[in-house]
Amino acid sequence: MNEKITYNWRFITIAVLFSLFGLAIIGQMVRIQLTVNGGDLPSPGLLGQWETAASRRGLILDRNGHLLAGNQTVYAVDVNFSDFYQLGEIEEVNMLADLAIEVFGINNQYLLDFLWQEPRPLTKNITVERFATQEDLLNYLALVENYYAGIPRDLVDGEPSEDIELSLEEKIEIIDCSHLIRVSCTPHLIRSYPEEKLASNIIGFVMRDTKEGQLGIEEKYDSTLFGNDRTLWALWDPHKADQAPDPDHGANIILTIDSVLQADVENILDKTIKKTGAVAGTVIVMNPQNGEILAMASSPRADINQYWSEEYLDIINNHENVFNYAIRAYEPGSVVKVLTMAAALDAGVVDPDTEFIDEGEIEIGGVTIKNWNEKAWGPQNMTSCMQNSLNVCLAWVATELESERFYNYFQDFGFGQMTGIELSGEAPGLVKSYWSPDYTRSELGTNAFGQGIEITPLQMVKAISAIANHGEMVAPRIIHSIVDDGYRYTPPKTVVGHPVTAETAQTLTDMLHESLQNESSLALVPGYSLAGKTGTAEIYVPGQGYKSTATNTSFVGWGPTDDPQFLVYVWISKPSASIWGSEIAAPVFRKVVEKLVIHLGIPPDAVRVALEE
Amino acid sequence: MTESLNQAYSNSPRRQKLQIIGSVFMVIVIAAVMLILYLVVSARVVSTGRQLQQAKDEIDQLVYQGVNYRNQIAQLSRFDVMEEKAKELGFRAPYPGEVFYVPVPGYHLGPETHVEIQQDTRPAVINVNLLEYHQSLIEWVGEQLNNILRPFEGL
Repeated sequence: MNEKITYNWRFITIAVLFSLFGLAIIGQMVRIQLTVNGGDLPSPGLLGQWETAASRRGLILDRNGHLLAGNQTVYAVDVNFSDFYQLGEIEEVNMLADLAIEVFGINNQYLLDFLWQEPRPLTKNITVERFATQEDLLNYLALVENYYAGIPRDLVDGEPSEDIELSLEEKIEIIDCSHLIRVSCTPHLIRSYPEEKLASNIIGFVMRDTKEGQLGIEEKYDSTLFGNDRTLWALWDPHKADQAPDPDHGANIILTIDSVLQADVENILDKTIKKTGAVAGTVIVMNPQNGEILAMASSPRADINQYWSEEYLDIINNHENVFNYAIRAYEPGSVVKVLTMAAALDAGVVDPDTEFIDEGEIEIGGVTIKNWNEKAWGPQNMTSCMQNSLNVCLAWVATELESERFYNYFQDFGFGQMTGIELSGEAPGLVKSYWSPDYTRSELGTNAFGQGIEITPLQMVKAISAIANHGEMVAPRIIHSIVDDGYRYTPPKTVVGHPVTAETAQTLTDMLHESLQNESSLALVPGYSLAGKTGTAEIYVPGQGYKSTATNTSFVGWGPTDDPQFLVYVWISKPSASIWGSEIAAPVFRKVVEKLVIHLGIPPDAVRVALEE
Repeated sequence: MTESLNQAYSNSPRRQKLQIIGSVFMVIVIAAVMLILYLVVSARVVSTGRQLQQAKDEIDQLVYQGVNYRNQIAQLSRFDVMEEKAKELGFRAPYPGEVFYVPVPGYHLGPETHVEIQQDTRPAVINVNLLEYHQSLIEWVGEQLNNILRPFEGL
């Protein structure tokens, strides 16, 4: 009986303890439900952190796989200025801020005001640098660690210590700042252009802050190249680990340009501009058989790694699109005579032997048109008209065609329409319609030799491709392929018309080949059969009219004439050494072709014919 | 006789207690086994999840490192760098007249050979469709039982 009582007492004690424990749990639950704000309690299932998948912007490569636009890892450096109260901690934070200002060269006034204010605000985690390079960050961390280790700063008269020379491994490795309490560094990717100015007029650039492509390929194919970083709330719950973001890289774009040729052409162009005192210029090299642009040089160019530099503001923030002269409209001058003659030959109003007596001037629509030297050249045929670049002769040819046919041909050649090149900012040019109210008949005469109309160099290249390529006009293109997710898309060759017949194209090519030979042009390259035409156009200055002292000099040529492999267009703007296309632009053509034939492996005609036989 | 024996055993207090204790232990053992199995499976899921999370971090690191490698290669093979090296080695660009073309008998200019630029642009996707990740405990137990019983099938 006594044992039973003892056991009951023990059972009761344990029951009471368990009951108290249970009541305590229930009480706590009630307290939480009634007093604590539910929003303050983290739900274990929702605990996590913001994570960004490292997605890179698509690469831009040349036709041989040489990298023109890639990416670079940089760091967002944050300094935690919160939760310090002791004197030593204040000193520590001051030091972190001063080092950041020094190493990262901070000149953002808002940030400087924050870092310099006394006393410093207590609760702020601030990004002192968003685009810290590997070198800068390692330099900063070394100084910070020296400070913590009590090593005096290696400063002489306030000058920072020399930059660290990094080994290749150090340049590759990702920096981890997790061992530092007040400093954190988060890697992310930005655009990088290893060749700096090379082909910058084609590529464009990416804004660092907004990651938006600007100008060139970067703007035109922004959504294709864009690497979606996919910042998502990644749950710590391992069951939901698969919900963390995967990288979504942008597509790679392979251009038709050949970087080696591009570098050579840019080099020739830059030297010419410097030597002739010109303001700007462009050289386009295209394969007339398929429309692939092999080189497209433009000067001046910007180092697109430093697009924000004041040095390049005039090139980049310009309404007249001087970023790429190849797609900017201008009055090309006598190179247009090639197309006027092509139209006349094709329409059958003239043939190469048609005679014309040049009296030195012709009146069309009440305006008197004169030759470039204002002299009469006497009896001429169509080949000599082209060879001597006679304005009077070509204006007469245009009148023989009459306005309707003349402008219909120009429309067929694609003037006044964009070529559709895969570049942002292409100008459509301006060619008046003969039925427009402000059109005057005199414009038929001036348009015939390339004055009073605006055409881009690329439009000229497209139109001339019909002459070089046996009547078949091809659309110029600069995208060779787009590669995305293991798939490749290669745009096909696009034939955009046959404005003239193959016979007309061959006749005109022969005429221009002969005229180049006869005038012993500076464009000739020994051993190669070439056809071409110079152009010199006076520049219209508002309020002053056309000035003969400021010209646009041009040259268009192609070869070998029987099997055209290249078509080169040159435009040099406002040279001071000479005003003539034959003296400024023609030698550029020759230099480009000399490089071209070696690089493309085009043997001289005699060797080629022997090889083909 | 038999009836009395059955009655004697079934009604034996000791026998009844043993039956109860045995049943309780049986339940405890089964519950323990189930819990251990559940623990093992959960641990595997957690471990796989952690591996997945680490793998994703490593992918990020590899992307950054890959970008840095490519950038370094591009910097080291820049045209001005290569040109400078070529000049140091005594090379210069040729002129057209300096190039000799030697006809090779029997060789004809064929179509241009295109070499594909190999670029692995496949997205880094981890296979998260692991069995451990989606299999319930009951399914797993069933699978294990099947594995155990498979040798005895057909006997």
